[in-house]
This record gives sequence, structure tokens and C-alpha cells, in this order.
Amino acid sequence: MSVVLEARDLTRDYKVRRGMFAPEATVHALAGVSFDLEAGKTLAVVGESGSGKSTLARLLTMIETPTAGTLRINGIDLVHATKAERKTLRSEVQIVFQNPYGSLNPRQTIGAALEEPLIVNTKLTKTERATAVAAMMARVGLRPEFRDRYPHMFSGGQRQRIAIARALMLRPKILVLDEPVSALDVSIRAQVLNLLAELQEEFGLAYLFISHDLSVVRHIADRVMVIYLGHAVETATREQLFASPQHPYTKALLSATPVADPDAKKERIVLQGELPSPFDPPSGCPFHPRCPQAFDRCKAEAPPIALKHGRDVACWAVE
Amino acid sequence: MALLNIRNLSVSFDTRNGAFKAVDGIDLAVERDDVLAIVGESGSGKSVAMLAVMGLLPWTATVTADRMEFDGLDLLTISDEQRRKIVRRDVAMIFQEPMTSLNPCFTVGFQIGETLKTHFGMDKQAQKKRSIELLEQVGITDPEKRLSAYPHQLSGGMSQRVMIAMALSSEPKLLIADEPTTALDVTIQAQILDLLLRLRKENGMGLVLITHDMGVVAETAQRVVVQYAGQQVEMQDTRGLFRDPHHPYTAALLAALPERATGRVLPSIPGVVPGQFDRLKGCMFAPRCAFATGHCHTVKPNRAPSEQGRALCHTPLVHGQPVILEGSR
Repeated sequence: MSVVLEARDLTRDYKVRRGMFAPEATVHALAGVSFDLEAGKTLAVVGESGSGKSTLARLLTMIETPTAGTLRINGIDLVHATKAERKTLRSEVQIVFQNPYGSLNPRQTIGAALEEPLIVNTKLTKTERATAVAAMMARVGLRPEFRDRYPHMFSGGQRQRIAIARALMLRPKILVLDEPVSALDVSIRAQVLNLLAELQEEFGLAYLFISHDLSVVRHIADRVMVIYLGHAVETATREQLFASPQHPYTKALLSATPVADPDAKKERIVLQGELPSPFDPPSGCPFHPRCPQAFDRCKAEAPPIALKHGRDVACWAVE
Repeated sequence: MALLNIRNLSVSFDTRNGAFKAVDGIDLAVERDDVLAIVGESGSGKSVAMLAVMGLLPWTATVTADRMEFDGLDLLTISDEQRRKIVRRDVAMIFQEPMTSLNPCFTVGFQIGETLKTHFGMDKQAQKKRSIELLEQVGITDPEKRLSAYPHQLSGGMSQRVMIAMALSSEPKLLIADEPTTALDVTIQAQILDLLLRLRKENGMGLVLITHDMGVVAETAQRVVVQYAGQQVEMQDTRGLFRDPHHPYTAALLAALPERATGRVLPSIPGVVPGQFDRLKGCMFAPRCAFATGHCHTVKPNRAPSEQGRALCHTPLVHGQPVILEGSR
């Protein structure tokens, strides 16, 4: 399959002042993450809050520029791209946010929200735009009469459909889904996940699916990348990751996810403590203070990403 | 005798557009060593029912019940003063958003101390000693230092631990946890759930867990109540519910979970939960139900016997197949 996006050692630092007279501190929100996105495939990014998932989404959608590393979309290097190239690339990558209550303008009708990307980015006439909007609404399962309604008249699931329709108006190749179903109820969640799967097949979309819910990831992803404190600790195919997780953090994450089966026997690895402060990251491996398998080397040296057991893992303890 | 005993509880709210029944005839019994989960989607009335027990509903709410007793006390006729004195000591509640449940203007120590002073009349010295004990019990490291911390200095998981410590400070007989882990990460969620189960055992209290997460239910609860649109549609022990759900809604809810799916397409439930203005004549779930008949749309269902999970359905499922109950028509 064709690679539509290539990220190499993607890094993003933020400079923050932690008080009026305090010196500037640097937060490494993302510390060298590499991956490829393929057309028609889904890469899931899993991690806890503060792990850098949303920073990654902001870099991919060109809301922010990476501090270091390269990002190629459609073979064009973003760092060296011209202004015109960037503009076309922007329409290739679209995003759907977690909270459909906050991501739609309450004073804009659904029709206007869907039409806006076409007005800004294309030279279509008014009638052509109206046809495109009607076609997309039908595609995501919104009735034609919804066109003139406002977001507050819709339920969460329908709003998320509207947000997805809006993201697809420019026919992007890549869709970044930032926790698209975590605000939805179970019965609605299934509807939206099904819709996403259908759309991916129909338009050959590449998904970057950001989530903390492993049961959803297991259902939708082709490949999974687990990130911890801005580092990719394990990247594997879905089958590999769920059948035999290697990194201790992945193992802990899997064992902490509740399973909807009271008869399931499982070993709970309960992690001690919480995510360390990104202002003061631990030395060596970022996971060592909470890791049950940590030894001396983990405190001193950060493990490199290496191919072990057929997947990329960054851990000294994995042979 | 059950610790909490509720028969036919209904709560309706006066709104500008007429009365809205948020909770419609639910029955509950919680024993002293029970872990009962109440599951439902948003708007199913799971929180409102528990707020009614606590007496925390606004004045627009009308609470009616055939029976609502806690530890032998009739909650329907109790005076406000008694409620504050007894019920709010013996029943404690923790909420979904730990960050917004704590007062940002006061230190953790002050807020825990306040409850100790109110319920036990402890002096400053005793308050401090007991606060440290409580924080230790909920697994907070360096509790003495944390007493002088303000809520914004704590992480989400830490704030929830403080909330639990506050809830435990009055040594309650019943703890109601309303989505206690929804706002937390999975690794922290596992810690908090383990903590709640451990404390329940140590202190011998009943635990009511309100949640929408079937995984959490499967791992923690002994019995489950499923709510839909204000009604209690099924009540079973946890194992039975996951093995053989009797109400079509429960069955559909379980089938829609990604971890139970077999193919790429998830079996989803069509449509949405009925809102305030489209309450139905017959069964509330009929428009979304795969097994609905004409009868379901027009006639309210009766409760099935407890072998069928007290399902509120004309044709409850047994091993996935609908059966017609005798005497239901």
C-alpha cells in the first residue's frame, strides 16, 4: 500500500514560564516519534493524558510546526514546503475532535458548517457546493432537512457525524481522529465506529486514531503505537500487540483495561504512582520509576527503539 | 434487613414545558457488604435516583416512592435536620469530576477537617491526626505534607483519592460512587477501583457504583441494575447478566461493545434514547428493539419474574431467544 505520511523523529518542545521570575523551562511534549501512515489503514496512538497524543495531532494537522524531525505528506517535506504547497497539504489532512459539543460553531447551521471548507479552499459555484454538501450529508447518514438546523438541536452521536462530514468535505487523504468516540454512549459509539470503517473503505482514507480506550483500538486499528511521556515505547501490528505485548508499560495498560467478562481470569499489573511531571522527566528510560521490571541500566540510559519480537520496542528488559 | 431499601421510586422535574419524569418506578435493595452497579447511558436517570436518596435534588424535583428506607429510617418523612445529622454521615457520595468537587480556595487538610468537625466534633489536633490516617488509608504518599496542598496542586487521581478520604471520614455505612473513574486514565482507574473494593471490605460498607462502562461492572460488581430512559429494565447478578442478558436492551448493549465483536461491523443499536418530549405509550425501548412487535409499541410491559432478571419486557430473552411470558397479555 502507498505511504501517504511519513514522520521521522518528530519532536516538539514547548517553552513555558512557571512563575513571574522563574526561568523559562522546556517541556518535551514529543521526543522523537517515527511512523508511517498508509492509505486505507489505521494507526492507533495509545497513551494516558499528558503522553503527547494531542501534540502529535496538532503537528500532523499543521496547527503547529515540529521543533525537530521531518514530516512528509504526499512526499512533500513540510519544513521546506512553499506557502502554496502548505495550503494544498492542509486540505489533505483533516481532524475530528473529541468533544462534538465544543467543535461546532453554535451560531452556524449544519449546511453552512459543511459548506465553509469549500468556500475557503475551492472555486466551486454555489449550486455545486450545495450538491456536495447534500451528498456528504447523505453519505454520513444525516437527513437532508438537517441542513438548516443548528448544532444544539442534535445529540452527541449526530454531532460527531456532522464533524466527520465536515472533515471529509475537501476529500482529504488523511484523517486525524482525536478520541472521536470517548464522549459518546456505548450504543452510539458503535454507530460512529461503523461509519468510520465504511468511510475508510470507500475513500481509502488513512486514519491516525488517537485513543486511550484499548477495546476500541483493538477493534479499529491495523497498527498500534503506544506512547509514554512523548516517547513511542512500542509500535506493533494489532495482532502482535494484543497477543503478546512486550513493553512493561503496554502490558500494564492492557491489564488495567477492564474487560466486559466477569469470568475472564487475568493478572492485574497495578502500576504504582502517576505520570511524572513533563517539566522534570526521569533520567534514562522515562518509564523506569513506575516500571516493575526496572533495573540499574534503565535509570542511567534511555533505551533505543529496536526491532525485537517483530516489532519496535524501546526497553532494556525486552530480549 | 437491607441497608438501603427502595420500592417504586419516581422523580419528576417541573420544567417550563411540563413535568419530566427522570426516574420512573425503580426498586433497589443494597446490603451491607454489597457491590451494586447501576449501568445506563447518559439521561437514563442513574445519578438522579441516587441524588434522591441523598436528598440533594433541587426544589423543582418531586420524589415519590412506596418505600425509601435507609438502615431502618424512613427517608420520605425524615426532617431536614435528621437527614443532615444521620443520613449524610452514614451515606457518603463521590462524584465524577474530582477536580470540581473540591473547593479550590481551601487546603485539603481544611476540607477533610471540616467534615470531621461537623460529624464528630473533633478538635484541631484530633482532626489533623485522623486526616493523616485517612490519607494514608487511601494510598496517598507523604500525607502530612499533602494536608497543606490546595486542590490545583493535585493530579486527577490524587484528587479522587482525597474525595474518597473525605467520604470515608464520617465512617459511612453506604458509599455511592457516581462514575468515580470516568475522568481518569486507565492505569489510575485500576488503582482507584482496587482502592474502593479494598476499603469496602475493610470498613464493611455497601457500595453503589454508578457507571456506563460495562468493563468496570464486570470487574467490580456483584449485582447489576440496567437503566434505560429512567426505567429499570433489568436486574441480575453480574455473571448472569453477561452470560445471558434477558432484556433486549442489555443484550444489544453488550453486543455493541467492541471487545465482544467478532466481525469488522459492530452490531449497533439504531436510533437514540427517547427525549423529554417523545416518551412513548408502550415500551420505551420498542423503537430501537430488534424483537419489538406491534404489541410493544402500544402496551407498557410488566416486570418478568426474577428468573428472567426482572426484565421490563413483554418477551424477555432466554439465551438470545424471546419467550412469551404467561399472563403477560
